[in-house]
Amino acid sequence: MTTATVDLYKPVKATLTKVIEESPTIKTFVLEPEAEFSFKTGQFIELILEGIGEAPFTPSSSPLVKDQIEVTIMKAGFVTGKIHNLEEGAVMGIRGPYGRGYPLEKLYGKEVLVLGGGCGFAPIRSLLYNLEAEQNKIKKLTFCYGSKTPKDCIYKGYIDHLRSIDKFEVYRSVDKADEEWNETEGVVTCLLDEISVNVEESVAVVVGPPIMMKFGVQKLLDMGFPEHKIFLSMEKNMSCGLGKCGHCMMRKYFVCKDGPVFSYDEIKDQPDIWK
Amino acid sequence: MDSYYTLPKSNWDALLSSILSDYDIYAPFRFDDTTEYSVVNEKNVNDIIYNQPKPSSPLKTFFLPVKENVINPVKSDKKRIVMGAPSCDLSGLSILDEIYLDKDYIDPNYSRRRENTLLIGFDCHTTQEYCHCTAYGFKSYPEENADIVISLIDNKILLNIKSEKGERFRSSWVNSYERITDKEFSTLSDIHNAVREMLINKNAGLPDYEQTSKLIKESDEDIWQRYADTCVSCGACSAICPTCSCFLFIERPEFEKVRSIDTCQYPGFERVAAGEDPLRPLPKRFQNRYMCKYVWKPEKFEPKACTGCGRCIEACIGEINKNDLFRELNKKETVTI
Repeated sequence: MTTATVDLYKPVKATLTKVIEESPTIKTFVLEPEAEFSFKTGQFIELILEGIGEAPFTPSSSPLVKDQIEVTIMKAGFVTGKIHNLEEGAVMGIRGPYGRGYPLEKLYGKEVLVLGGGCGFAPIRSLLYNLEAEQNKIKKLTFCYGSKTPKDCIYKGYIDHLRSIDKFEVYRSVDKADEEWNETEGVVTCLLDEISVNVEESVAVVVGPPIMMKFGVQKLLDMGFPEHKIFLSMEKNMSCGLGKCGHCMMRKYFVCKDGPVFSYDEIKDQPDIWK
Repeated sequence: MDSYYTLPKSNWDALLSSILSDYDIYAPFRFDDTTEYSVVNEKNVNDIIYNQPKPSSPLKTFFLPVKENVINPVKSDKKRIVMGAPSCDLSGLSILDEIYLDKDYIDPNYSRRRENTLLIGFDCHTTQEYCHCTAYGFKSYPEENADIVISLIDNKILLNIKSEKGERFRSSWVNSYERITDKEFSTLSDIHNAVREMLINKNAGLPDYEQTSKLIKESDEDIWQRYADTCVSCGACSAICPTCSCFLFIERPEFEKVRSIDTCQYPGFERVAAGEDPLRPLPKRFQNRYMCKYVWKPEKFEPKACTGCGRCIEACIGEINKNDLFRELNKKETVTI
């Protein structure tokens, strides 16, 4: 038997230095870990609220920044509700990083199409930071982002920044527009009709709520994307992060260890994949 | 490695008594209608139950306690001997090893306990009502994960040394012994054959592991709904299963963390923050446990995820017999053909 990992379950403490309101239900938490904590884009962490609980999140900050980590969290359940009540100075715990992130090496040399919905922008932002820093390695990036209403759109300032990058094109839609909205109205997949991509040269990344991923993948397949060139970040009940506790089992995969990023051909036979 | 030695049971009992200060020893004892593991001491050494099928608790409980603090675990450096695990339980450790000794993330507590424990398995010289190890390709006597295997025949202890760890124990403590005779070996074979016959007769019509996998994959939802009708989600089937190993984390002050056994049979097992819960309907949960054991785990791991101990059938307060379900699926297919 090989040597056991002694601190397998022990978190690194991290201080909450800033809370940014992104939308009525979404906040970004900026954390400074006590010890160096690095991750690859698309990997996730477990964020621990002492004595209360822990939950999995994919950092929304750049993996190239080593001294702080940002996590964008939608108030959705018990733990996220408690996290939303935290104030600057609070100390949390971080475990990880866990899992297989975005396959950067498969994006290099390609046109990258990123399709995101709702809070799915959080992990995507980490990928975009990474690709911005390595933009000489990709041909082009097209980002299609959908949210329910204009006030649900997050990272507004960052969108402007992305639009200033020559190799990046950004398209946004909302399910229901208001008078001020001057971009597309409709579900996010309708943006795929607006863009010009060379499918042969492209790789797609899809992150968002299950229903959006379902229709997004269908549309990409219709556009001619091969199954192995569509990458999805799956959301399951990841808990231990180590492929042991069983909560995120999806057919033969432990999503926490074998994913959370999968190519569509790896998971397409999974029954109830979008539930 | 397989080598055989014999010694009179009285000598073996004396040997066990003499090493009680060196080891914590656990063995099966009779408690009313059941056998269960308990601590061996000088007074009860003669009461150890040999060669009966499975104790009530599965062997996994020695390596994965029901609850433990994983940040500050209770550690004991005293070596352990666990006597009396049957073949089904010992084989069940293989898949736990795949998960908890996964080279990417070796669980320190599990690993320490595995290394610190000498496993003395027992041959089964008889069977219980729901035993079905042979249907899944296992023998009634331990073939894997045991360091030593014991059979008690005619008041003599037959030691079958199966690992280097077992051999180190034998050479350290078993000073006087005899080599197994041809007659004793033949008696042992006769017992193995007789038990095998009993198991085969008892499990007629039960599909093997691979066939069960195929049948489950092709099954309709109706049968799961029907069999889940009396399920109350108590989780007993998982708790007493030698291969079920899922757990839940409970956060404690000072960032301590307790690992507690969990099961997909409980509502909310897969629920995510936004409320999506694919296993909310009870029949889905009920089916999930068998999908996991017979379909998904075999796609991922080599060791089988059901070793045919039958405890889940015994423990079910809803009187659900998974083997009736599989027989029914098998029969349906045979009729269709």
